[in-house]
Amino acid sequence: VIFRRAKRFRPFGAGARGTIAAIVATFALVSLISAGLSIWTTSHSRNRAAVVEMAARQRTLAERYVADLLLVQRGAQADPVHVGSLIQQSAHALLDGGTAPAVEGDDDETLLHREANPVVRAQLVEEERLAADLAASGRAYLEGQPLSSVKLTAGEHLADASPIQRIRILAALTSNVSLNAARTIAAQDDQNISNLIMLQVSLGAIGLACSLLLAWALIFATRRQSAHFRSLVMASTDLVLVLDGSGCRHASASVTTMLARPETELLGKRIFDHVHPDDRPLLELACQGGGARTFVFRLRNALGRWRHLEAHQTDLRTDKHIRGVVLNARDITDRVKLEHELTLQAQRDTFGSQLGEALEMADEENATFRVVERAMVEISAEAPMELLLADASRAHLERVAKSPTADAPGCPVESPFACVAVRRANPVVFESSEALNACPKLRDRPGGPCSAVCVPISFMGRSLGVLHATGPEKEPLVAERVSQLTTLATQAAARIGTVRAFEKTQLQAATDALTGLINRRTLEMHLRTMIRQGARFAVAIGDLDHFKQLNDKHGHEAGDRSLRVFAQLLQQSLRDADLVARWGGEEFVVVLPGLDREQAVTALQRFREELAGAHSGGNPPFTASFGVTDSAAGETIEELLGLADSGLYLAKRAGRDRIMLGEPSSDAARVQTPDTERPSPAAWRSRPALQQVAGEDDPQLGGLELRY
Amino acid sequence: MSSLRRITALVACALAPLAAIAASSALGSGASHTVTATERDFAISLPHVIPAGTVDIRVTNRGPDQHELIAVRAAKGALPLRHDGLTVSEEALAKAEVGALEPGKPGETRDLKVILTPGRYVFFCNMSGHFMAGMHTTVVVK
Repeated sequence: VIFRRAKRFRPFGAGARGTIAAIVATFALVSLISAGLSIWTTSHSRNRAAVVEMAARQRTLAERYVADLLLVQRGAQADPVHVGSLIQQSAHALLDGGTAPAVEGDDDETLLHREANPVVRAQLVEEERLAADLAASGRAYLEGQPLSSVKLTAGEHLADASPIQRIRILAALTSNVSLNAARTIAAQDDQNISNLIMLQVSLGAIGLACSLLLAWALIFATRRQSAHFRSLVMASTDLVLVLDGSGCRHASASVTTMLARPETELLGKRIFDHVHPDDRPLLELACQGGGARTFVFRLRNALGRWRHLEAHQTDLRTDKHIRGVVLNARDITDRVKLEHELTLQAQRDTFGSQLGEALEMADEENATFRVVERAMVEISAEAPMELLLADASRAHLERVAKSPTADAPGCPVESPFACVAVRRANPVVFESSEALNACPKLRDRPGGPCSAVCVPISFMGRSLGVLHATGPEKEPLVAERVSQLTTLATQAAARIGTVRAFEKTQLQAATDALTGLINRRTLEMHLRTMIRQGARFAVAIGDLDHFKQLNDKHGHEAGDRSLRVFAQLLQQSLRDADLVARWGGEEFVVVLPGLDREQAVTALQRFREELAGAHSGGNPPFTASFGVTDSAAGETIEELLGLADSGLYLAKRAGRDRIMLGEPSSDAARVQTPDTERPSPAAWRSRPALQQVAGEDDPQLGGLELRY
Repeated sequence: MSSLRRITALVACALAPLAAIAASSALGSGASHTVTATERDFAISLPHVIPAGTVDIRVTNRGPDQHELIAVRAAKGALPLRHDGLTVSEEALAKAEVGALEPGKPGETRDLKVILTPGRYVFFCNMSGHFMAGMHTTVVVK
């Protein structure tokens, strides 16, 4: 719409052009008339001056005429007739135009125009008549004729006078009327000049009026034009600032609207009060002009918020209509904010992923805590932080990690549920420890008032503890730091939970749930290590005698109890270094490092005695049999366990409740005497291991395999 | 010269009503009457007899020359002339003069207010030679 309007818009439209042309034409006409009048009046006045001079000359001539007459009468040399004719010719020329004769020695011939003014004309007619009367009287006087015979033509009555007196009167009348004619002309000229002055003044006034009209028309047209462009500029969302050496000279309405400040607050050097201190040099540089360039600066609005402006600078100081540096700017605050958020998000993501990788490498809780400590420094090296975790009872919180650079804030909270963040299961930010709604545990800290952030740590819905950070009062960690803390809390919780679950699973996998002893797999692992290291040791396999009957007779409860008593006693009676494992069912394997089979028999014998004396309470008494061998008897686990098992077989065969050394030859006998009460220790092993072992080392055991 | 004369005329015009008021108040209830006079080259025509009192003489110059109108109370014999022998000596007649109009243009009509007591008066134009050329008349005021 604006463009279409702009195309149609013509500041000097047809109407305005016509007006201006009319005004200019009138002005020109008035000037022409004025100039013409001046020229005409001047030339006319010059002519009139000649007339006046000629009329005035008549007086001199009239007097000279009288004098000449008297001189002639006294016989002197004079020519009154000539003077008389000069007077008459001059009078005629004054009246009807023509050449007024020269008076010898005085002046030259003068060309006169015919007199047009009727009043002057009547006077000149009178003069001509009086001149004729004067000349006639003079002639009569010279000729000696009586003057009364001269016919007077101009209305004068010259009774009772001497001839020369009559001539003097006529001369006086002639000169008088001539002078009066000259006066009339002069008065008329005066009138003409004042008329001309009046006319010139009027014309000047008309000219002035025309000029004013023209100025008005031009101002109107210019206003229309500037109003049009102003509308365009005002409607534009572009922010326009005009700068010069003295600061800001103009700020567009869009700027004042955006900042909610009046233009006066932005003019001159005052604009710098609202420019971000870091950006002031940029704007000062812009004030100095220079080539076109684009930069971003910040202006504070009336609410105290920074608006980011992307400004394009154009140096128009040489443009006489601008005489400044023009900044066309756009408000890019939203874009900057978005970019900032994206950057933070990216940082968080980086932090999150790095933290995730670091935690993944922590395979136990303590390692996890060290990662947490390093992450604390990443978040803020200055803010005191600590990680408080609930102990096994989940009743007490203890500090497991603290910021290595800023130490621990030292929250005195003792139990998880005394912590408000844990109760709410959400991060809590406290602006000030002194606020009414602040956590009471923040008060009276040694460091004085502070702000705090508390992020609960939970795994699978179970609260594990709290991540706690403090900062200066009223200046809590900024949102992105809190967000990083939350990330840390979430990831650390997940890792701690995972490590704990893993450790528990590992423990479960390594031990026997009923007796708490290590299981077969764990024992095999130890044995393998010992064999590989070439350690000396004895191995024994033992089991509870008549366990099936005990189970059948007293129930599985009693059976389990008997197994636990057996395991406990066995562990107690042996050395700490000895390994006792439940092999399966009522069968146990004992490894005694550093002992040979005789020493092992002695140790187990002691145990059997203790077992015999330990039966008490409701537990049915039972006995145990052992088969023993040592590392010197074989090179593989299977070999050694096979030997020990053969000893046990021998012991069973010999009547139970005894210890027998394993013998390789006894294997055949064992195969021939099926004992279905329990599976062979070897048969507990996993099938692939058995197959491999059977195939390579012990073809005899292949028979066992066949039996299953 | 001419501007000075115009200023004089303007002052006279401005002062004329004041003079009239002053004159009429001085005269009390004495009614004035108007007398028409005509001037031409070279004669003055006025009624021969004029009633006494305040007389408003409305004089028209029929031209073609300019003319004055001077009124003097007549004494015995002719009016005294100046040494030039061409004009009346107004200086000698200062006490006898009852009114005077400066030279008027042809075609102009002017008023000369005079207070005339019974007696003989001479009205004349004293421009150079005009009196001598016959421009005077004698009036009897009764």
